[in-house]
Amino acid sequence: MIRKYIIKKETSLEFRNNTSLFLITPTMSVLIIVFPILSENRFRVDDDLFLIVELLFLILFTTLFSIRNPIDEQRLVKELNFASIQKTDYFYSKTIAELGIFYPQIIILLILFSGFTDTSLNSPLIYICLSILFFCINAIMINLFFQVSTSFNSRFVQFTIIVPIYIGFAILIAPLWLGVNQEISNIYLLMYLGITLIIYAFTNFYLRSAK
Amino acid sequence: MSSFFESDSLQLGYGNQVVISDLKISLESSKNYEIIGKNGSGKTTLLMCISNNFIGNTFNSDIKRNNNTLMEIGSMPSLIPMLSLIENINYFLFKENINESLINKILIKYELNNFKEDLIEDFSSGMIKRSEIAIADLKNPDVLCIDEPKVYLDENGIQLLLSLLKKRESDGNSSILSSQESIIALDNIEKTFDLND
Repeated sequence: MIRKYIIKKETSLEFRNNTSLFLITPTMSVLIIVFPILSENRFRVDDDLFLIVELLFLILFTTLFSIRNPIDEQRLVKELNFASIQKTDYFYSKTIAELGIFYPQIIILLILFSGFTDTSLNSPLIYICLSILFFCINAIMINLFFQVSTSFNSRFVQFTIIVPIYIGFAILIAPLWLGVNQEISNIYLLMYLGITLIIYAFTNFYLRSAK
Repeated sequence: MSSFFESDSLQLGYGNQVVISDLKISLESSKNYEIIGKNGSGKTTLLMCISNNFIGNTFNSDIKRNNNTLMEIGSMPSLIPMLSLIENINYFLFKENINESLINKILIKYELNNFKEDLIEDFSSGMIKRSEIAIADLKNPDVLCIDEPKVYLDENGIQLLLSLLKKRESDGNSSILSSQESIIALDNIEKTFDLND
């Protein structure tokens, strides 16, 4: 169940902790501005380079967002017991809260990237938004799942585990961004939806069955 | 009387290191218990296990629990440092749906009313413990576990804690206290677990 008070708490914490809002996003923005000048000495990037670098920026941004505030398992267990909150409720509420924080930022990042490199993606806007939405949900759920269900609370371990998974998610986006025809795009979006449902089902099963 | 925590041979530890071994324990609702022992004897570990906050190794101990509401005030604060006291109270007591006037009354009782808008990260250890006790008073769980009850509290704080424990005792709720030696805070103690033995 999604709990409003957990979402409210997570959002308040994000605005006060502000690592992503005031540190990661501006840093990424500066990198985006500097990147075309460094790579091609002009504010224009070749199309073949554009897509792969945009994906790399997406992975980098998602990774920085994910490792910004690792969850301490002992602290989390205490907090949830103190508030009598089920782990599944916390997981899904936090996923929604993170999505609300992360999704607008990643859209802004893509707009900035397109703007400053004077290039654009070849897909309709709706396909771009949907592909990013699926990417965000999957990335957030996988990251939370590893943090909630394992004792790893070091950023390095978290980084090592999640980056290969994010690369996998990003590779699925590439054909959508390349501008393949509508039928293929639909297949890719359905595939992404399927992956999202599988991850949701797996995390749900694991969290409910874990003692 | 039903047991809210029971194990015939409780074994607890961290990794392969055993802290508590073969402890037969059965805790019944509406009764008070005390855990005493020197440093490193496993008091906090046992208390965390009882309150379901233990994330170490239970070595497949057969632990039976029922659905009593448990709350632990331990060595590590449960409150969220980046939220204010009133935000913490609203968060931790959301399910209880407690009205604002009662919250204010309790905050005045615990002398926290002037600090309710302050962030927990700015609180001293004593204030954090006092806040957790106030939340326990509002929440009124079936079982309240307190690790080192008197630590960090001033004389007034200790008196407030003792009066809460007395009130819980008269209401028929359980309290479990863990400290190095008996602190004589409860009138009726069903059993004392001496981990020095």
